[in-house]
Amino acid sequence: MRAILDWLDHRTGYRAVLHHLLEEPLPHGTGWAFTTGSVMILLLAVQFLTGVALAMYYVPTPLLAYDSVRFITDTLTLGWLLRGLHFWGASFIVVAAGIHMMRVFFYGSYKAPREITWLTGVVMFLLVLAFSLSGYLLPWDQKAYWATTVTINIAAGTPVLGEYVANVLRGGSHLGALTLGRWYTAHVLLLPASLIVFVLAHIALMRRHGISGPITPQHGPPVQFYPWHVIKDTLMMAAIFALLLTFAVKFPAHLDEIANPADAAYIPRPDWYFLSLFELLKYFPGPYEPVATMVIPGLVVGFLLALPFLDRGADRRPFSRSRLGLSITMIAIASAVLVLTGMGLADLPSKYDPNDWGPRAIAGHQLVTAADNKCATCHVGGGPAAELSITRITKDEEWLVAHMADPVAIAPGVRPASDPTPAPLLTRLQSQSVLAYLRRIRAGAVPPQVSDEALVAVNTFATSCAGCHKISGEGGENGPDLSDVGGRLDAAALKRIILEPTSEYPDTLMPSFAERLSERQLNALVQYLANRH
Amino acid sequence: MTETQPTDRAIGRRNFLVRAIVGLHATMGAILAFILGSTTLSPSFSGRDETWLQAIDLDALPENQPVPVTLRVSRSDGYSQVVDRTVVYLVRTGDQDVRALHSTCTHLGCRTSYDRKTKLILCPCHGGVFDTEGHVVSGPPPASLPSLPTRIEDGQVLVQV
Repeated sequence: MRAILDWLDHRTGYRAVLHHLLEEPLPHGTGWAFTTGSVMILLLAVQFLTGVALAMYYVPTPLLAYDSVRFITDTLTLGWLLRGLHFWGASFIVVAAGIHMMRVFFYGSYKAPREITWLTGVVMFLLVLAFSLSGYLLPWDQKAYWATTVTINIAAGTPVLGEYVANVLRGGSHLGALTLGRWYTAHVLLLPASLIVFVLAHIALMRRHGISGPITPQHGPPVQFYPWHVIKDTLMMAAIFALLLTFAVKFPAHLDEIANPADAAYIPRPDWYFLSLFELLKYFPGPYEPVATMVIPGLVVGFLLALPFLDRGADRRPFSRSRLGLSITMIAIASAVLVLTGMGLADLPSKYDPNDWGPRAIAGHQLVTAADNKCATCHVGGGPAAELSITRITKDEEWLVAHMADPVAIAPGVRPASDPTPAPLLTRLQSQSVLAYLRRIRAGAVPPQVSDEALVAVNTFATSCAGCHKISGEGGENGPDLSDVGGRLDAAALKRIILEPTSEYPDTLMPSFAERLSERQLNALVQYLANRH
Repeated sequence: MTETQPTDRAIGRRNFLVRAIVGLHATMGAILAFILGSTTLSPSFSGRDETWLQAIDLDALPENQPVPVTLRVSRSDGYSQVVDRTVVYLVRTGDQDVRALHSTCTHLGCRTSYDRKTKLILCPCHGGVFDTEGHVVSGPPPASLPSLPTRIEDGQVLVQV
C-alpha cells in the first residue's frame, strides 16, 4: 500500500497538495465560532449529492413533475428520506448561512483585506435564496404552483419593467411548462455552476488572507489546522448532520395535491425564508408595494454589499465606537426578519390534509367502484388502458371531464356534427367527483369507510351542491365554502335554508331544493353538514 | 525520560483526533452512501407484481396446437404507466389443461411464430426451433421457452403474467 501511494505521489505530487490544504497555522484562540463555514460546506455537499439522486427521477414537465416527485416519495426505496434531506437541507442552509454571516459580522472578519471574501459570501447568500425559490416550484403541487404565482406577481409589480420581468421568469404570459423548464435549468445547472465558482473563490480568498481569529488577538503559539481545528469542524458537522437526518426522518417532506391552475381559491404562502417579505407586503398596500418588494430588500442587500467599505477602521469589537451604528443596523435587520418571519408563521393557513375526504372525493370513489362503472370497460387489468389505481392525471380538467363524458372521443370536443354526441356517461359534476377522487389517491390518501347515511349525503352534495359550494377544497365557488358550516349553523337552520334559501338570505341566487331532494337525501345532507365543524 | 512523556502523550492525542476525524467523516459518508445507493439502485432490482389475465375461451383452443394470444399488461413504469402487449402461445394439452408459453425467443429476444406444417415454433432471426412444449429442437437458443402459470375458470383460460 505504502509503495502504491509513494508511486502515486511521485507521479502526481498529491501529498504536497494535501499538505498545503491541511497544514495551515491558525491564530491562537481560534475556536468553535470558526466552524460555521465547514457546516456550510457539509450542507452544500448534502444538497449536491441528494440533488443528483433526485434529478435521476425528477421530470421537469407539468405532465409528470408531480408524479415523479410522488414516485420518489412513495415508491422509491428510501426516496422519502432522500427528498426529506434535500427539503430540510434547503432550510438548514438558509439558517446556517445566516449564522455564518452573523459570525463574520460580529467578529469583524469582513474588514480589510477580506472585503472581497465578504462580497463573495453575500453573493452566495443570494444564490442560496435563488436555489430555494427555484426549487420550491419543482414538485408542482398546489403549494409550489401558487407560491410561485405569487412570487412572480410580486416581480410583476416592479415599476416600468415589471411585466417584462414576469414574462422572462415565466417564459411567457402564463405559469406552465416553459416556467418549469427554465426554473429547473436554473436550479440544476446555472445556480450550481455559479455557486461552485463562488465557493472555490471564497475558500481560496480565505486561505490567501488566513482566518481572522479571535476579535482581540491572543498571544500564544498558532494552532495547526489539522487535526486541532479540523476535529472541531468535524464534530460540528457531525452534530448538524445528525440534526438534519433527525428532521428528515421525523418530519418527512410534505407534498400537496397536484397543482390545479383552475383552483384559484388556494391560499398560497411562500416558504418560510420568504415569509418576512410576504409579511412586509401587508404594510405597503397598493402603490407602495414596490417599497416592500424592491426598495427595502434592495437597501438590505446594498447595506450588506457596502459594509466592508463603510467600516474601514481596524477595530473589530462589534460595539466599539466606530462599529456601533453598523452593529445596531445589523441587529435591527436581523430582528425585523425574525419578527416578520414569526408573524408569517403564526398566520399560516391550515395545512392541506389529503386524508380529509370531502364529499366529492367520496362520491367519486363510489362512482369508480360501483359494480356497473363504465371506467372499468377500459381501465382494467388486461384492458386497453391502465387501471385507475396507477393512472396518472396528465391532462387538464376540461379534457378529463370531456373524456369521462365521452370516452370514445380521443380528442374531446371535435366530434363532427354528422356524428351526434351520445348521452354523456358521466355528467360534469360526476366527472369532477371522479377527478376529486383521483387527486386524493394520487396524493397518497386511502378512501375512508363511510356509513350508508353519509353516502347518501355525499352523493347528494356531489350532484346537487358541489356546483356552487366547496368542501375540503373541492367544489364550485358561487356559494360559500361549507367545510365547517356546522360551526356556523345548526341542523334546523341548514334544513330551512336548503328548503327555502330566501327565508334566511333574501338576496340569494340559490334555488329552493324542496322539490329536488327526497326526504332521506335532505335529512342525510343536513346531518352531514351539521357535523362539519 | 521525563521530557519525552508529554511528547508521547501529544502524539497519542493527535492520533486519537485523526482517528476521530476519519471515523466521523466515514460515518457521515456511509450514511449518505447508503441513502444514495438505495435510491439510485433499488429500481434496478425491483420486480413487478404478477396478475392473472383472462386470455381466451377454453373451447376456442384446439388440442395440442399452439394458438398465439395477445395479452395487454398494464404496469407502472416508474412515475408513469404503460400498457404492454405480450404474445403467449396457449396449447391445450387436455380436457382442463392448458400450457402457456412465452413467444419471445430465449436467444436474443425475437418474436417467434408457430409453423402449422412442421408443428414447430420458429424464430425468424437465427433459426431457433422449439417444439410445442417449448423445448429447443435446434439452433442457438440456450433455453426452453419459459412457461406461464394457467388456470381454467368458468370456461375461460387465465394466464399469470
